[in-house]
Amino acid sequence: MDRVTGSMTSRTVLADVERVYGRLAASQEELSSGKRIEKPSDDPFGTSRALLYRSALAANDQFQANAGEAGAWLETTDAALSSLSDDLRRVRELVVQGANGSLSQTDRDAIAAELDQLAESVKSAANARYAGSYVLAGTKTDTAPFAVGGSDAYAGDGGAIAREIGDGVTLTVNVTGDTVVSPILAAIRQAATDLRTGGTPGNLGTVDLRAIDAAADTLAETQATVGAREARVASATARLQQLREAQARQLSETEDADVAQAMVEFSQQSAVYQAALRAGASLIQPTLMDFLSP
Amino acid sequence: MSISTFTGLETALRGLMAHQQALDVTGENVANASTPGYTRETVSLAATPGLRTAPGVLLGTGVTVTGYERVRDTFLDVQLRAQTMLQGAAEATRDGLSQVEGVIAEPSDTGLGSLLDAYWGAWQDVANAPQDPATRQALVEAASSLADGFRGAASQLQTIQSQTAQAAQLTLQQANDDGATLQSLNAAIFDAHAVGETPNDLLDRRDQVLDDLARLGSIAVTDNGDGTLTVTFDGVTLTAGKVGYTLSESGGTISNSKPVPETAAPSATTGKLGALLALRDVTIPSYRASLDAIAAALIQQTNALHAGGVGLDGSTGNPFFAGTDAATIAVAVTPAQVAAAAPPGAPGDNANALALAGVRNLPVASLGNATVGGAYAQLVTTIGTDAQASRRASENAAVLVDSLSNRRDSVSSVSLDEEMTNLVRFQHGYQASARALSAMDDVIELLITRTGRVGL
Repeated sequence: MDRVTGSMTSRTVLADVERVYGRLAASQEELSSGKRIEKPSDDPFGTSRALLYRSALAANDQFQANAGEAGAWLETTDAALSSLSDDLRRVRELVVQGANGSLSQTDRDAIAAELDQLAESVKSAANARYAGSYVLAGTKTDTAPFAVGGSDAYAGDGGAIAREIGDGVTLTVNVTGDTVVSPILAAIRQAATDLRTGGTPGNLGTVDLRAIDAAADTLAETQATVGAREARVASATARLQQLREAQARQLSETEDADVAQAMVEFSQQSAVYQAALRAGASLIQPTLMDFLSP
Repeated sequence: MSISTFTGLETALRGLMAHQQALDVTGENVANASTPGYTRETVSLAATPGLRTAPGVLLGTGVTVTGYERVRDTFLDVQLRAQTMLQGAAEATRDGLSQVEGVIAEPSDTGLGSLLDAYWGAWQDVANAPQDPATRQALVEAASSLADGFRGAASQLQTIQSQTAQAAQLTLQQANDDGATLQSLNAAIFDAHAVGETPNDLLDRRDQVLDDLARLGSIAVTDNGDGTLTVTFDGVTLTAGKVGYTLSESGGTISNSKPVPETAAPSATTGKLGALLALRDVTIPSYRASLDAIAAALIQQTNALHAGGVGLDGSTGNPFFAGTDAATIAVAVTPAQVAAAAPPGAPGDNANALALAGVRNLPVASLGNATVGGAYAQLVTTIGTDAQASRRASENAAVLVDSLSNRRDSVSSVSLDEEMTNLVRFQHGYQASARALSAMDDVIELLITRTGRVGL
């Protein structure tokens, strides 16, 4: 049989106590930090997954912010277009009224004056801004697309503005004033001119009305496009929200401590540690000396 | 053939002396029960040659002490030292890598991973409001934090590398000190050996020095038969009998001070020195290279796109980042120069900002077609796996070293119970020898005082 000496038992007890205490400290750290992974070596592949989930979460939050921005931009555009639509309805009423042959030139001039006012109102609505940017000016967002009280010329450009609302998913948020507003203004100005010259009431009921209707159709189409984009933003936001919950859950499962399990482990380690200490306390066993008579 | 009257007295005296010495050795063992490196000793007793009292009849003449033996199993020494070497290597690697892990500090809200995410987000914010100076300012801040993060990690890795180099030099110095000690112990043991002595204390000390040396590197010990040992360290002769050599290291190769130096390149598992050299020359440089490659890919991808865009101030062709790697990366633009727009550069144009935010998802050929973030996650995983492996290796080595130490102690260390038993045994032996002596005394006394007094 092997000899067993005092140095062996003390080495074994010390190593065991250290090992058990190490495990106890590890589960204590897990409980106090709430994290299963404190450093990469705790779980290298878990760390890598945690990094990717964290990155995906950050991107998701950013996409939600982008979608919020896109939604607000589209709402501003939508409100401007509704206002244009109201103005255009009034323009059509006036032109139909002006086409009536029994009106005097004075009446026609009055209608023409109201049309001029409406043209200014249209330009003012078309200069709608979101967060300091003119929404109908293309990418020249710092320039009012139409000069109220000035020329009807479109001062913006045809540039598109996009928002990223998902990985690689971009959505154009802007409509440009030259496609929507310019035809309206041209139609109003033409009608006013025709009213003032008085000689061409026939144009009012035919060409001018058709121009107004064509502008109204373009406006309606644009409104429909904007509405569809708003719907897309809303559904993207809902999807991002769902995805976020899943990603946050995955991150938590990867990174966070299972408190119940950690608690059970801690209690177990604690009991084992106390048992080890108790064994260590009785390390100094009596030797033969205690039993030999002097 | 007659024998001397006093033969019995001599025999008893030898018994007394032998038991006296056995008691002394027991006392020595008890006294050194806690001395590190002490090898318990036993008294070797042998019966002395007999006296021929008649043809073919030999009378025993008692006992003599032939030596004090160290109870030691050299095979266990070899096993234990091989395992100690692995433990030394695993612990050095573990300590170095745990420092590296401290630099990386992932997963966290402050590590490079989070800084990268914040940087991509800042580009998106610029894309949301390209004409807004505040978002541009925020982007420059986020990019500066990211650059600081890269530079900080690079410089800390460099510091760890140079600390590891210092530790390797100190370890080499320690091996040389051990070599010098071995040389002087060899000389002292040689002298004792020459006059037929066995200097157990010196032998214990030499074994202890060898145990220490085994932690630093791979050692091989050859007995020269004259009491001295020849010791090689990582394959290079450190001490040959009474001659000692000095070791030096250069570029991962160890050489000694022989006229024609012997050289050897230790591996990552050959003791503390080998592990430190591998950390210094292989492991940490590879982490630094990965970090540099990640930073370089970010710089190149970003700058290529950025130069094609137009800033709010109309400038174009500017690089976004200065520098070429993790140690030199810095932000090179002012907020107004941030090229969010594609040409011609309308203030509301965010096409280039979106493209730059999209670098996040761009596979980069120089990173093995991983994205910047993916390559970083790979680096963190590599560091984590290496650190985990070294931790497990050091735990396993500790268990094995403990178990072999116990096996060696089982042979060589002092058991007080055993010594107490010996004490009782030798004491009884001494008492009995003394009793035998007095019996002889009585017999002789009878002979001297009573002879010739018959009838008186």
